[in-house]
Amino acid sequence: MHPFWMDLAGGRLVKRGPETVDKKIKLYRGLVACAATLATLGAPGSAQASTQGSLGSTSTGSVSISASVPSRVRISGLSDVAFTNVDPSADVSNAQNVCVWSNTSTQGYRLTATGSGASNAFTLANAALTVPYTVEWSGSSGQTSGTALTAGSALTGLTSSATNSNCASGPSASASLIVKIGASSLQTMNASTSYTGTLTLLVAPE
Amino acid sequence: MAVGFSAVGLRSAPGSPVPCARRTWRGIAWSTWLALALVSAPAGAQSNNVRITKLSDVAFGSLANLGVDASSAQSICVYANTSGDRYRVTATGSAPGSAFALTSGASLLPYEVQWSASSGQSSGFQLSPNVPQTGLVSSATQQTCNSGPVTSASLILLLRATALSSARAGSYSGTLTLIIGAD
Repeated sequence: MHPFWMDLAGGRLVKRGPETVDKKIKLYRGLVACAATLATLGAPGSAQASTQGSLGSTSTGSVSISASVPSRVRISGLSDVAFTNVDPSADVSNAQNVCVWSNTSTQGYRLTATGSGASNAFTLANAALTVPYTVEWSGSSGQTSGTALTAGSALTGLTSSATNSNCASGPSASASLIVKIGASSLQTMNASTSYTGTLTLLVAPE
Repeated sequence: MAVGFSAVGLRSAPGSPVPCARRTWRGIAWSTWLALALVSAPAGAQSNNVRITKLSDVAFGSLANLGVDASSAQSICVYANTSGDRYRVTATGSAPGSAFALTSGASLLPYEVQWSASSGQSSGFQLSPNVPQTGLVSSATQQTCNSGPVTSASLILLLRATALSSARAGSYSGTLTLIIGAD
């Protein structure tokens, strides 16, 4: 092995005269510069710079392109729910297919539902008259039952099968929203009186 | 050309009454004229050389609104010392099959490439991977646009909302390669 490389490998500089030392210092500096350049070029994830073409019968250039897509979710395909002239002797239920899309790596999401009643309660109202309803959610479409939601509490660990943000392609729906009013609640309602309310669904990436 | 130059320059008719020195000077004059004539013709011909420069990397950054198209246009220099300054462009992406798509792990984010033979454009005709677009004309008068027009073409990249609204979250990257050839 050349003495210089032995010195380099040993991490020490042996003085053999001023000229030798100067040359070694220059070589060390050169090696440090080369190492820094190689580290920059080979760093994982480092962006490649654009390259310019040279003059010739063909000329080739290139550009590096980058973009970052943040975590996003979307809920769509919701329809209003109307229970009209229902028989108070039996529970009523309305199930609808909705589209929930999540672009996270797991396509996961969490859902929080709030009603328009006092303290976000799931209630319909007519002035001071109120009637409670229940909300269930399923991470699959076409379901008539699911996990019961609590107003203001997030249901976590859900996964979407949607491949498009509004299910315009791929599955046309990815979840089920089920709203129910129990017979006992119906029997507290005044006849020929309209009760209304709003259910708000908040979806977040997970 | 070199053979013609020496043959004319040294030629003299046997038995000519013209003195040797005079014949030599006349020969040199003719040979000089002929050489200039021969050399001047190729100087005006096209070399079929082309060059692409002034390319810049494209960083779309974090795309907050995935419901709208994201685009990036840049003016670049394409020089063509060809007949009619004509050139062709072929583009290839770095995704499988040379597709125009950025990658983030196994996820793909397709993009579109448009080209205009004029600088300062925000739209152009669409390129397909590995398919040459022919019949383009460059206005560049210098190979790196250091004089004359400072740029001569536009490169436009587009991330469509339709692609963004289906894209997985993540950092995407890729390389677009542009090959210019004489046309």
